[in-house]
Amino acid sequence: MTNSISKANLSKEEQALIDQFLIDNQLFYGPDPEIMRNHGLDPRSDTEERILSAGLDAQKVNMVRGRLTAALDETHTMVEQMGVAPGAKWGDLVTAIFTANGDMAQTGTHGIVVFASVCQYPVKFIRKYWVNEPTVGVHDGDAFIHNDSAYGNIHNTDQSLMMPVFWEGSLVCWVSSTIHEGENGAIEPGGMPSIAETKYDEGLKMCPFKIVENFQLRRDIVTFLQNSVRDPKLQLADMKVKLHSIIRLRERVLTVIEEFGVDYLQGTLRKSLEDTETEVRRRIEEIPNGIARVNTFIDGNLREDVLAKMPLEIRIEGSRMIWNLKGTSPEFTNRSINVVMGSMKTCLLTSLILYVWPDLPKNQAVFSAVEVEMDENSLVNCSNEAPNAMSLLPIFRSFSMPPMTMGKLNYCMPKRYTAINANTYSQPATLVYGGLTQHGEVTGNFCADINGNGTGGREDKDGEHSLSPVFGYMADTGEMELAEEELPYVRLVAQKLAKDRIGFGKYRGGLGYEQIATVKNSTEFGFMTGQCGSKHPSAYGLFGGYACPAYPMARIKNINIFETFKNNPEQFDFNMITLMNERKITGGDYYVQDAGMNFELCNEGEIYMICQGSGGGYGDVLDREPGMVAKDLEEELISPNLAQEIYKVVFNPENFVIDEDATQQARDEERKARIKRGIPYDEFVAAWVKPEPAEDLPYMGSWGNDHSTLVVSPPGEKRYRIPAGSSGVMFSNPKDRLIAELQAEITTLKKSQGC
Amino acid sequence: MRRISVDIGGTFTDCFVAWDEHYIGAKALTTHHNLAQGFNDALDIAVQDIGIEKRTLLAGIDSVRYATTLGTNALIERKGPRIGLLVTEGFNSTVPLSRGRGYGEGLPFEKQRDLPNAVRPDPLVPIQMIRGVRERLSYDGEVLLALDENDLREKLRQLVDQGAEAIVVMFTNSVVNAAHELRVRDVFLEEYPSYLLGAIPLLLSHQVAGRKGEYSRAISTIIDSFLHQVMYHGLGTLALNLRANGYDKPMLISHNSGGMAQLNSTDALQTVHSGPVAGIAAAEHLAKNSELGNIVATDMGGTSFDIGIVVEGGEKHYDFNPVIDRWLVSVPMVHLVTLGAGGGSIASFDQLYNTIKIGPESAGSDPGPACYDRGGMLPTVTDADLLLGYLDPENYANGRIKLNAARSRFSVEETLCDDLDLDVLDICKHIKQTADTNMSNGISTELGSRGYDTSEFTLLAYGGNGPLHCCGIANSLGVNRVLAPPFSPVFSALGAGNVNQMHIHEQSTYSVLFDTTAKTLMSDYNRLNQAIEDLEKRGREDLLRQGMRSEDIQFRLEFDMRYGNQRVETAVSSETTRFESVHDILHLIERFHTRYGERFGEGSQASESGVRINTIRVSSYVELDKVDFKNIKPVTEKRPVEPVAQRLCHFVGYDKPVMTYVYDDAAMTVGSFINGPAVVTTKDTTYLVEPNWSYHASHKGAVWFFKSKGTA
Repeated sequence: MTNSISKANLSKEEQALIDQFLIDNQLFYGPDPEIMRNHGLDPRSDTEERILSAGLDAQKVNMVRGRLTAALDETHTMVEQMGVAPGAKWGDLVTAIFTANGDMAQTGTHGIVVFASVCQYPVKFIRKYWVNEPTVGVHDGDAFIHNDSAYGNIHNTDQSLMMPVFWEGSLVCWVSSTIHEGENGAIEPGGMPSIAETKYDEGLKMCPFKIVENFQLRRDIVTFLQNSVRDPKLQLADMKVKLHSIIRLRERVLTVIEEFGVDYLQGTLRKSLEDTETEVRRRIEEIPNGIARVNTFIDGNLREDVLAKMPLEIRIEGSRMIWNLKGTSPEFTNRSINVVMGSMKTCLLTSLILYVWPDLPKNQAVFSAVEVEMDENSLVNCSNEAPNAMSLLPIFRSFSMPPMTMGKLNYCMPKRYTAINANTYSQPATLVYGGLTQHGEVTGNFCADINGNGTGGREDKDGEHSLSPVFGYMADTGEMELAEEELPYVRLVAQKLAKDRIGFGKYRGGLGYEQIATVKNSTEFGFMTGQCGSKHPSAYGLFGGYACPAYPMARIKNINIFETFKNNPEQFDFNMITLMNERKITGGDYYVQDAGMNFELCNEGEIYMICQGSGGGYGDVLDREPGMVAKDLEEELISPNLAQEIYKVVFNPENFVIDEDATQQARDEERKARIKRGIPYDEFVAAWVKPEPAEDLPYMGSWGNDHSTLVVSPPGEKRYRIPAGSSGVMFSNPKDRLIAELQAEITTLKKSQGC
Repeated sequence: MRRISVDIGGTFTDCFVAWDEHYIGAKALTTHHNLAQGFNDALDIAVQDIGIEKRTLLAGIDSVRYATTLGTNALIERKGPRIGLLVTEGFNSTVPLSRGRGYGEGLPFEKQRDLPNAVRPDPLVPIQMIRGVRERLSYDGEVLLALDENDLREKLRQLVDQGAEAIVVMFTNSVVNAAHELRVRDVFLEEYPSYLLGAIPLLLSHQVAGRKGEYSRAISTIIDSFLHQVMYHGLGTLALNLRANGYDKPMLISHNSGGMAQLNSTDALQTVHSGPVAGIAAAEHLAKNSELGNIVATDMGGTSFDIGIVVEGGEKHYDFNPVIDRWLVSVPMVHLVTLGAGGGSIASFDQLYNTIKIGPESAGSDPGPACYDRGGMLPTVTDADLLLGYLDPENYANGRIKLNAARSRFSVEETLCDDLDLDVLDICKHIKQTADTNMSNGISTELGSRGYDTSEFTLLAYGGNGPLHCCGIANSLGVNRVLAPPFSPVFSALGAGNVNQMHIHEQSTYSVLFDTTAKTLMSDYNRLNQAIEDLEKRGREDLLRQGMRSEDIQFRLEFDMRYGNQRVETAVSSETTRFESVHDILHLIERFHTRYGERFGEGSQASESGVRINTIRVSSYVELDKVDFKNIKPVTEKRPVEPVAQRLCHFVGYDKPVMTYVYDDAAMTVGSFINGPAVVTTKDTTYLVEPNWSYHASHKGAVWFFKSKGTA
């Protein structure tokens, strides 16, 4: 306020002097809110205005777009082939082209859209700060590296290289290449630390800086980066990969300019964006006015149990579409699952592209027409100081919330652009690993199982079993034989569909699969897992479909399964549930816990077990075609008693042949029972709605429809409320809490013994 | 040389006969109920040309060679036995889950990205026919969990009880230790000797694919098993037909590896896509024989556009994990990219960009383009070609299909004119240009991602629509010369007649040439040499079994190499076949360095991350006589040709129609020269010489198209 008053009292000349002084005396070029808060397209530049005003031949534009797509496909293939990081091998990468202003204009046919979209922010930062900075500058042959989410990234395990493209001395566009690299020198190996309490625990935090001059990596800076991570080989190799892919992409762009002229290049990039935004606006106007909502909850922050609210409300008001995430849990200032606003928006954009309008071009303009409302300092719009390396937890929800909400809005539409679908499972259900390999190399990364989320039931069919990551398509869960060749783990269960763990419905969700791993030939290798969803489901049903179940993780420590294989092989069952329920492996310590496990070393032959999840179900279980239940029984996806209980089907237990009449009768009875159990809606609301969360629930976020106040219940503290937008919440250290608990117990014991 | 080669395609059976110096190409409709009939029909046409009896021909030839899409069709139609699959316990869902991405393999990207509608293809092995067996090997072949034979016997019994007509075994890491898989075979024979159940084929994964990758190896073995019966019967019928007509030598089958073998030495999987691959093999021979340098071979048919690369003196381009139909397999197949772009590709309005989109939907051959008059209502590339004046409605496909231009016009008017606010002919030009650009972009992506410069390649155009679109594609690609090869309508059949008898054997390995951590070079030469020797021995035995002479057998050694843990496996051929010193190792690393740099850019190499061999591959082959392609280079002589007609044609870049001469291919002789625009009609295809291009006939029916210098 003081500042604005003083501004009002200044003359223009005085203000200009102050502005210049501040520019000359800037302490730190931190993340720029002006850039980070704007997900819209930049205004047309003078050049773009001139080109588009003069008009472009649509057919020629089409050909330019085709050429650029070919170039992006070529370079995508290059990165996928040359890349060393597991993420590159299994599809977590992208190459992209940006306008001279930095708007993300085009990706190839494959690649992770969100990686490209989020690069708009660092490109705009470079353009704003480094172009005219005499000690930096932006020249032909330069390239900039970046991974810090505060400047625009999903999390700092993804690294991007961005290169300006010049034509006759003018900057005409940018090209980029991004890979999920994994290891980044964080407090835990693998690049996604769950125990990070500050951003300084999260390893490399690269704001956009120049690392390439004259098309060559600067070895001094490369060495600095290698020195900062556990896997210097990976760091160097993939920087080369990214560099050579963008050099190739730049060459192809220049060829397009030579063939069609620079105006057609710049005109095509801009026109693609504007055409896309126009089409999105048209689609918004197609939808009747209305509001649809979904409330989701994250049940842990990888250090402790909390129930953090993350709601989405979509409002259609004429030609406006507003996405409201207010009421979300406040930021966890010393936990690593926070999300930067820009990251969240680009994930929401990707969700639209993947699950609602998959026919649209993959560019930034798909979301530019959408208005977004968020609270400051919330889990989805965190402050610059908040750690965010495991932002995946809220981010994965950002992919699954929009299809549900838009599904409700689109249900009445005569034309839909794809099937309405219940949630795809939204957890990074994979083992993160690190340590010394059997070949004596230090490594840290994650398994490709992250790419195997079960998809949700759909309006006309079941979901597919473990199909893709929630954030992309045509990614790959890989081949275990190849992984074991490089890493010292043995997958005792590689992929086995998780029976009975299903999002039931008229159309059920696709199932996830069990993963059981151990370590061999390394004394220094371990695992962590970075998931939640062990107590509250991660994929919701739609229109009466069930959510997926909750998935804990399990371990058996102090055994050597290879000795068991030799001496008592019958003690081992290739099944997580049997292993844990029957506990036949003698001498083992059996643990079940939430699926957010901090890194720990795995001794040879100890067992770690996790599960990929099912998608949510679609529609009422009583409407499921009995023949489809029989097929699930034949395929051993569901147990007979569960099938009877959930679907109310009657069948011959020997051969699963359905008794149609008895099934009809059972379902009729269940429908009547439902009516009997039912109460008027108002009564239900009166009984169901409570003034505040249960007392012992570690709840975070708004309660009810009032989003102005947030409930805060950090473990070990008394619950309190804060105005939305307040500073984030600090959590105590779980170990300190444990120590305090133990000390209290000791004190009590001492007292009871009269000490 | 006296030889018959046949390419049995989905629609046509193409036949190429070499009878001493007399070369004849013939086409007949494929007769799916009895392939021998289509073959006989094609042969009847050929013998008429030579002037001898069919029986005399068959009795007098050295060999009959087949390339066939029989397997591909059987796969698409899911005609195969009920297969039971045994896997390592814990890998039970590996095949059904298909690495996650299996839903989209073989589909256009528009369908790949539509996740809410994603559906995996109908399985070749349903989930209820899969059993896990208690056993486990480590990555280097150590037995971690011994094979539980009781469990095995129980699982076999379950599969047989459930009606398994074939059994596939895929045990994890069996390529480094096959003992458990081999034991399954013994146990199976003990439990179910052939006299008890008849012959239930049992296939072991390590015998079908030598590479690591449990999913792709399993699918390869499953497909091999799935196609075995239909291939055996289909090709057996052909063999009987040949014998009945006087041919008493073994029938040879083209492989997708670019080689061939006798029927009894052929896995069904090796035959899939062997037709298109044979076309690339023909291109390779043609390039070598006529010293044409680098070639990009393109085959544009009714539904697809195949691209293959032949590089002078370079490595052969293989796909080690190609997609066959909807399945990712593990087989070394000559690299071939198929785009969904052909004459039947449907043109639609792209509302977002207010322009035309071609494909991915295709009218195929049934109903086909609107002009076929078989019920197709949507405009296709062929409809545009017809309306632009390039095709003769009365003599399309040798008169077998009469084209109805009114239907084409109606389809364009109804679906595109209003939206685009353009007249029919302008739209047709856009369709032609977009289709050509899409194909050229496909070529450019292919060449670019392998590090090649388009301008260093000659475009080879064959297939039904190849010579019609080649000038347009070349215009878009920036290529100035195109060759329509001799016998272009039956080019793949010709290729099938031109390959060597060859077997490829591979072995997965984890051989570190340069260990960056220990800073050492490989020194265990014996292990490497022994592996090479074993692979040579297997190849030699294959060829000796088929009657080849030991002294004729040659070997080509290749390594799939990588830096560090990257994914790419760059194939590097090695002249050194036995390694004995540091020099040999460094020389191999240097070759890899060079090849990698050519492909991904100088400076992209990463030796400092370590250098590894992942696969050792030995091609064992016997060089056989080839069809003579010498002298098909452009001739200097230019002879004028008289047109047989003229008509108005419409071209991209020309506002008004252009009077275009029409020529008959029968009148062409060596040196015949035509300046475009022109249309040359042949029995089976149409050559379109676009403005600023010329047509120049060379020897043996080869035709060169040249772009005038200085034209854009």
